Amino acid sequence: MIEVRDLTINIEGKHITQHVDFTIPRGRITSLIGESGSGKSMTVSALLGMLPVDAKVSGYVMYEGRNVLDASDQEMESVRKQDVFTIFQDASNSFNPSVKMGRQLYAFSGERVGDTIDVFNEKMKLILDQLGLAWDVVEQYPFQLSGGMLQRCMIACAFYVEPALLIADEPTSALDMVLQKEFIQLLIRLNEERNTTILLITHDLDIVAEAAHEMAVMQQGTIVETGTVETVFSNPHHAYTKRLLESRF
Amino acid sequence: MKSRKALLFWCSLLGLIVFLTVFSNMLAPFSPNEMNMDDVYSAPSSDHWLGTDHLGRDVLSRLLEGGKVTLAVASGSVILSLIIGIVYGGISGYFGGLTDTVMMRLLEALITIPALIIILSFQAIIQGGMWGMTLLIGLTGWLVTARIVRSEFIRLKEEEFVKMANMFGTPVWKILWGHLLQNSIPAIFVVTLFNFAGAIFMEVSLSFLGIGIPPAIPSWGNMLYYAQNDILIGAWWIALFPGIMIFLTILSINFIGEAWKNPKRRRVND
Repeated sequence: MIEVRDLTINIEGKHITQHVDFTIPRGRITSLIGESGSGKSMTVSALLGMLPVDAKVSGYVMYEGRNVLDASDQEMESVRKQDVFTIFQDASNSFNPSVKMGRQLYAFSGERVGDTIDVFNEKMKLILDQLGLAWDVVEQYPFQLSGGMLQRCMIACAFYVEPALLIADEPTSALDMVLQKEFIQLLIRLNEERNTTILLITHDLDIVAEAAHEMAVMQQGTIVETGTVETVFSNPHHAYTKRLLESRF
Repeated sequence: MKSRKALLFWCSLLGLIVFLTVFSNMLAPFSPNEMNMDDVYSAPSSDHWLGTDHLGRDVLSRLLEGGKVTLAVASGSVILSLIIGIVYGGISGYFGGLTDTVMMRLLEALITIPALIIILSFQAIIQGGMWGMTLLIGLTGWLVTARIVRSEFIRLKEEEFVKMANMFGTPVWKILWGHLLQNSIPAIFVVTLFNFAGAIFMEVSLSFLGIGIPPAIPSWGNMLYYAQNDILIGAWWIALFPGIMIFLTILSINFIGEAWKNPKRRRVND
């Protein structure tokens, strides 16, 4: 579905990523793993066409036969609006603190796909119910909910929108172990029920083992290893991957 | 809890002052400009609670009516400076880069000139009345507001929820209004309160110097100006009561502002 070829990003003469190659197959969960500062988030920004203005970028990011890097701002905006949904690290920062959840959930889901508020209410109620959230949350402000609940609200929007691609940028790092597991189960459910393609960015190998089908290991701005999770786990080639696998609990 | 009670006290005091001045028409026992030459410089008594001045006008009535003028000038100028400050600071903070640099250098240049001097010189030229004063105080009072709005916008712009809204293609005006401005309200509120106190002080100072509100209109500053001579002949009540009102008003506004400055009251604070 998305092919990244030879992606190099430069900011003020510094190489953020170099010759990055990997693919995100349709309907699968692909994981991009690497330590902090390895260029994961910048790579994702490049996919979304959201790099800082002073970034110089070369290579290809092919999405449905088009190179995203050449696309105009309007084209990118419509891709971001219609096809992609992004979940960030800390959901408590992803919501506007002075607006009630209901309006924000609508803005993130119903409004994007062009539903009226009534359709939204009906559909969202079902989804929240499935995810174990009471309908009351729509009357509350973000700071009245816990991090785990907010992250579930986020994924509720993803369930609603059913995006072609869901990008989850370290979605679990602000959650405790129990909530992490719950959240990963939800991602898997989204993938299985709605066949959503997911790009899961993380530094946690356990999450990769639990959820992902494919993985790409990133170190210091380059991809050092790609493959299915089984093959990489059973037969790692690169020294960094081996070290990563050894450092698991 | 202690600070809560204190806040409540200062709020009610300010509320009382505002109430008294706003309804001065009904509450004042005499007309503020009604002269009575048989009854000049009479000390506070049951007839005239706060005494009368050199023209036999009732001090209490003038105090209430004058408060209305002073507070109206202060409110008008604060609203004006708030609007200018938000627009200026908002543009500077949101767009950043060269725009921001140029706008901020200009602001710094303006901030170095004391507002009182600018107002003095303009007032000398235009000889403005009440609304002229409001305009002048408003036009010189927005600098700090603009700075605060700018720094809030710069901070909030980097927050994830703003980036998220950007990514979903939320229109710029919606981000400016709903995400940036709405979350800057606590900070803007505090700086506006202090501005309000400053504007009252400015009106009082100018009127006291005799270049503010025209003499026909009573204001707290005007009353103090005319009381200068009266004190010499022992009519202390003419100066004391406006002084107390000014003191209490500015004090309560400052205390309310201090209480609101407390970051615990904010929702986004990092």
